[in-house]
Amino acid sequence: MTTRTPVRSSLWLGLLAVPAVAFFLVFSYAPMAGLVVAFKEFDISEGIFGSPWNGLDNFRYFFASGDAQRILVNTIVLNVLFLAATLAAGVTLAIMLNEIRGRFFKRAAQSTIFFPYFVSPVVIAIMLQVLLSGPAGSGGVVNDALAGFGLPTVSWYTEPGPWPWILTFVKVWQMGGYMSVIFLAAITSIPEDVYEAGQIDGASRAQMALRITLPLLKPTAAVLLVLGVGRIFYGDFGTIYAIVGDNGTLFPTTDVIDTYVFRSLRQIGDFGTTAAIGLFQSVVGFVLVSTAVLIQRRYSKETSLL
Amino acid sequence: MTSSLAKAAGRTAAKRRSGGWEPFTVVSVIGVALFMLVCLIPFWVILSGSFTDEQTLAGKGYSFIPQPFSTAAYKLIFTGPTLVSAYVASIVITVAGTVLALSITSGLSWVIARRLPYVSRPLAIFAYIPMLFAGGLVPLYLLVTQYLKLQNSYLAVILPLLVAPFLVFIQVSAFRQLPEEILDSARVDGAGEMQIFFRIGLPLSKPILAVVGLFYAVHYWNEWFTALLFISDVHKYPLPLLLQNLISNVSFSQMLPTAAAQSTPVYQLRLALTVVTIGPILLAYPFAQRYFVKGITLGATKG
Repeated sequence: MTTRTPVRSSLWLGLLAVPAVAFFLVFSYAPMAGLVVAFKEFDISEGIFGSPWNGLDNFRYFFASGDAQRILVNTIVLNVLFLAATLAAGVTLAIMLNEIRGRFFKRAAQSTIFFPYFVSPVVIAIMLQVLLSGPAGSGGVVNDALAGFGLPTVSWYTEPGPWPWILTFVKVWQMGGYMSVIFLAAITSIPEDVYEAGQIDGASRAQMALRITLPLLKPTAAVLLVLGVGRIFYGDFGTIYAIVGDNGTLFPTTDVIDTYVFRSLRQIGDFGTTAAIGLFQSVVGFVLVSTAVLIQRRYSKETSLL
Repeated sequence: MTSSLAKAAGRTAAKRRSGGWEPFTVVSVIGVALFMLVCLIPFWVILSGSFTDEQTLAGKGYSFIPQPFSTAAYKLIFTGPTLVSAYVASIVITVAGTVLALSITSGLSWVIARRLPYVSRPLAIFAYIPMLFAGGLVPLYLLVTQYLKLQNSYLAVILPLLVAPFLVFIQVSAFRQLPEEILDSARVDGAGEMQIFFRIGLPLSKPILAVVGLFYAVHYWNEWFTALLFISDVHKYPLPLLLQNLISNVSFSQMLPTAAAQSTPVYQLRLALTVVTIGPILLAYPFAQRYFVKGITLGATKG
């Protein structure tokens, strides 16, 4: 019987990872190399590497167009709103769920509020249309309600002003339950005797939630916050594009880097400029994500990401 | 003295679990119930609308009770060839994608989890770098269309999402929790490393395979963005893309005189198709939900 050396058996076992390595090479690393397009006057017939260089022209073109400022501001504003709102909703829901003692109701509640996380952005877009615009002529559920209270109705899809809030609401709807699962897990790990001590001191349940649970959720919230800030440059493309699509009237408040890149790629076919924006996004995103991971590792060793 | 204190503490602890309703508890129950309602209303309006007669829908708008009741849209869905083929496309993409993604992710995660010298660490770094830096949309688009020539192939939807680094995290930490003694005893019995993976590692990891598989399945079922990029043949549209197309077409037909829109029940159809898209997730949800919760908490605390 042969005895295998550790090195040989590990190389043999390494075969299991070959398909994944091939995947990363083709779909993650090759596109990184493809980013040279950002510095080229791209011509499909010449291919990525045959097209002539044009230095920083693509970047200059993007930053000179009036769009750059708008989409950068939108990306950051929307992501900050999303992050703040989903964290707040997650903490609030988790604390409230923790108060519920009926096991059946608690489980039903968790299942219900978690479900929107699994719903496709396209479906969310349709729900929003049902709520806000309605079929031919009539005004949708929200406008029906507004009219019922004698309030003026709003033509939502031609009014860019409220959209950051509408999208934030959608985000809370979509992610509130997901976030609450994370926070509820954190609450469960808080030792019981902390609450017993509070009880002996005569604290009400509201006081215990505010003075004990909330402060003890800080580390979890900090981790999620740092990771969220790290991803601030990557808008949630799918949801925003599914909802807003090519509706130009809403762009002033809803157009983010990802949707802009996607549109210019599909409609204008300007690969060079689009790749330049993508590279800009990747580099700033990389700096933010790495900083976030470093901060988070320092902050809490036991929940380190890498 | 001490025993009476302990008794008092015991009583209050018991009270915490089963005692009276404090105002804060009442507020919490109401708050959660309201959020549940907000989660449910959109689904209900869509479900009700999908069974409402098109004329009523167009004339009076949506309501919470389907009146008059009509199944016209569902009949159309299950007889119209485009819709059936979209369903088939989504099923093919989801099944093939999930099986492929789960196998490949498991293989990679196992190798990383076994802490093999010279292999595991570099491999982990190699797999995590794409989480920090990505090439972005344009190179991916050029890769798939110009170099791999996968337009109008389901592979264009399946391949780019094959390995999610986040799920590799979850799986690696789950694989590492398998007791090393079991694997060692198999080695003593003469099992090869491959045999150990297939005969012992995988069967013992069924719960985590379920978690990861479900994440992939939902992802593939809902995927429309790569489909939007790479699939232009209407007969190959998966369900979400067809739905997305219907949104834009309906908003387009809103600008037309209403007569044009009345030949097919567009509004009702749109809602029925939404129901049909959510349906399978809803059916699988009661079984899958606990696995998802497990997966998220694992990813959030240990990942």
